[in-house]
Amino acid sequence: MDDPVVKLENVWKIFGERSDEAMKAVREKGLTKPEVLEQFRCVVGVQDASFEVSRGEIFCIMGLSGSGKSTLVRHVNRLIEPTAGKIEILGQDVSTMSATELRRIRAQQIGMVFQHMALLPHRSVRDNVAYPLEIRKVPKSRRWAISDHALGLVDLTGYEDRLPRELSGGMQQRVGIARALASDPEILLMDEPFSALDPLIRLQLQDQFKALVAQLKKTTLFITHDLDEAIRIGHRIAIMKDGVIVQIGTPEDIVMNPADDYVREFVQGISKLKLVKAHSIMEPMERFKGSLDGAPRADEGADLDQLIDLAVETDMPVVITQDGADIGIVTKPRLLRGIQGGKDE
Amino acid sequence: MSDATTDMKVTAASDVEVDRDALDRSIKEFAGPNGDYYVNAFHTIHDNTGFVPRTFNLAAALLGPLWASSRALWGMFWTFLILEIIAWVQIGRGLWGNLGADFIARADQQRERMQERLDQAAAAADDETRQRFEQLAENMQRAIDQNLERAEAAQAEGLGILLIGLVLLVGFKLVQGVYANIAYEKQYSRWRIDPTGTESGRSTTNLLLGVVLTALIAPLIVYKFTVSNSLALLNEFPEREVSTLVLGDGGGTLFGAVASWMEARIDAAATAGGDVFDGIVLGVRTVLDGLTLALNGSPWPVVMLVIAVTAYRAAGPRVAIFTVAAMAYTALLGYWALAMETVALVGAAVILCVLIGIPLGIWFGKSTRAYKMAEPVLDLMQTLPAFVYLIPIIAFFGTGNPPGILATIIFGMPPVIRLTALGMRGVPESIKEAAVAFGASKWQLLKDVEIPLALPSIMAGVNQTILMCLSMVVIISLIGGGGLGQEILEALQFAAKGPGLLGGFAILFLAMVMDRIVQGAFKRADQK
Repeated sequence: MDDPVVKLENVWKIFGERSDEAMKAVREKGLTKPEVLEQFRCVVGVQDASFEVSRGEIFCIMGLSGSGKSTLVRHVNRLIEPTAGKIEILGQDVSTMSATELRRIRAQQIGMVFQHMALLPHRSVRDNVAYPLEIRKVPKSRRWAISDHALGLVDLTGYEDRLPRELSGGMQQRVGIARALASDPEILLMDEPFSALDPLIRLQLQDQFKALVAQLKKTTLFITHDLDEAIRIGHRIAIMKDGVIVQIGTPEDIVMNPADDYVREFVQGISKLKLVKAHSIMEPMERFKGSLDGAPRADEGADLDQLIDLAVETDMPVVITQDGADIGIVTKPRLLRGIQGGKDE
Repeated sequence: MSDATTDMKVTAASDVEVDRDALDRSIKEFAGPNGDYYVNAFHTIHDNTGFVPRTFNLAAALLGPLWASSRALWGMFWTFLILEIIAWVQIGRGLWGNLGADFIARADQQRERMQERLDQAAAAADDETRQRFEQLAENMQRAIDQNLERAEAAQAEGLGILLIGLVLLVGFKLVQGVYANIAYEKQYSRWRIDPTGTESGRSTTNLLLGVVLTALIAPLIVYKFTVSNSLALLNEFPEREVSTLVLGDGGGTLFGAVASWMEARIDAAATAGGDVFDGIVLGVRTVLDGLTLALNGSPWPVVMLVIAVTAYRAAGPRVAIFTVAAMAYTALLGYWALAMETVALVGAAVILCVLIGIPLGIWFGKSTRAYKMAEPVLDLMQTLPAFVYLIPIIAFFGTGNPPGILATIIFGMPPVIRLTALGMRGVPESIKEAAVAFGASKWQLLKDVEIPLALPSIMAGVNQTILMCLSMVVIISLIGGGGLGQEILEALQFAAKGPGLLGGFAILFLAMVMDRIVQGAFKRADQK
């Protein structure tokens, strides 16, 4: 397997003038968040976060406002300095980079998209997209060509010479995405890019974005406060609460095995039909006494939706196969429980 | 709705009971001594729906300002202290004031003069002269009688004044008694919002402070206004005596000492830094000379044409027409050269303000600490009357146009600094963060993001600065600045109404044209 593209190890961020002292106290005495606030007047933004993101993966960080997810992601390009811990991008340690090196890696390897677009209002759409290239002193002819290509990727051909304010919110955010893609970075940091948009546009952009990233094979850190969005887009999801990463896992993992009550509460309202796969609810073949002749068959990767379609046709359980071989069964009670979210019988 | 599971009890507003216990406790805590009295008083105030107050605080009426001070109602203390003193002064004048003193003093003087006349009459050589003097003495005697009569009448008024004083005093006491609880209830409301910042209860310290203040103020005032020949010490600050005390006999006054010390300092500084000041003057003069050469050295038709075209391009046809009319006015009345000199003066000041002010503004916009340090200086530059700093400018830079420009810069630079700093601070953090995230260096951030986004504010600052500089045109003529300002100054000195008004209109037109052109140009830039 490839080395991880982004790797965070025990990253801490404590805000406040006495953050170093507070960090030391936390290490030595194991102070809790409220204690740090009381004794040092420091706020713990991120607490001991570690994760790895591999090439081409979309890694979602989900949490409510104030949970530290934006703070965490800003450590990746060192917009925020960590109080402690190690951050590596493509095998390089970010925290020891010189200012010049840091600017170079920001300009070439990391594209970032912001919740409030953050476009330059006095520049045309094209010049906005070309701005990261301009910083790198790419000649104008080249950066205009690249910029037009990037705008083509997000379906904005024809709007190059407009000013950002002439575009709708959804279009502006597409400009933001084009700008992040323009320098062909390895890593995309998406800071709640679709949160400020209305729901229909958001759905559209989510699909468009997912397809685009799959095609361009960008490693993506995607911040959101919306679990639906995280599940729809992410390969893996990290759930944050009060600066702590509570759980990391695939969408299915998180929905089926929430780590604690906090996650469980989140997951409750999520539809499991497309998310839960046959292999996570199947039982051993031996549980069923009787003949399985004529029972419908489904691959272990089939989701609940597909299983329901098969189950309504017959009184028999559905047989689950792996590479053509039968490996388990899903009975109707089991299926119904699965829809509920894997409650134990 | 019928099967609503909520347990909350809904009561109609009219059935809501007033919970007096909690309120009473709170009022008692606030009032301290005499808590029960104030509980009742506040309830009466709270229950009162009409305009007429229904409580009377006897302690406040009797003690007056002292009660207010003991309860920390300082506004009330000062108001009624002053009002009661007015009443006491009337009472004092009525009781022991020498009301006719002025008239009697005048009569005494006249008596002396009459005596002189009588002496002169006695010494007169011929009858005619004697008769004339006797006549004068007789007139004088009549005036004396009149004054004595008036003095008597004034004395008789004493009783009336005493009565007025008593009525006033009783009136003020009544008002205090009625108003006291209302004011105290307001204090209570403030105390509920901000218990630590609002004084509550009765405090001996405050009472003592009230007593001391009253004792210091009231007797002196009553004394000063009731006794006709009060101590000279109270009429005038004894600065001479203090000067002698500090500097010894024959040492002159404190004022003289400090003033001559400062003059020596300034002279020394001017000599010591002579090269620096000369350099500054030279720099300013270079800018001014360049502008003067362009405006007054070029043939006048060319300058007029350029100005008209600039107005048209920058601000459109209407402003262009106005500009041409204004130029015709100045040229026809013979003000052309002077007007161009004024434009060069203002232009040089504005150019220097912008060159110095915008970088300073950028710095202050980025560093809060620098801005905090500079703000008092900027305030001073704008509030200090121009006449005050004209004098040191003469000392350091001499007279003429360049020192005038320096004075103009002092007054005109703050707006461009302030508005540049304001614009810099108004640039959204998110956009700056985006530029940094894409690898922008500090210089790129400044050049591509901060300055372009702050530009509308910076341009507003420049416009303000131009207008401020124009307003200094007349003032700098006091230290030898030329142009139209000098014309006005001369007209002012000779009270020449015609020339003054004509020159004034020329300045007015100049200001309007400059303002219109600059604003038009900025509006166009904004729309782009």
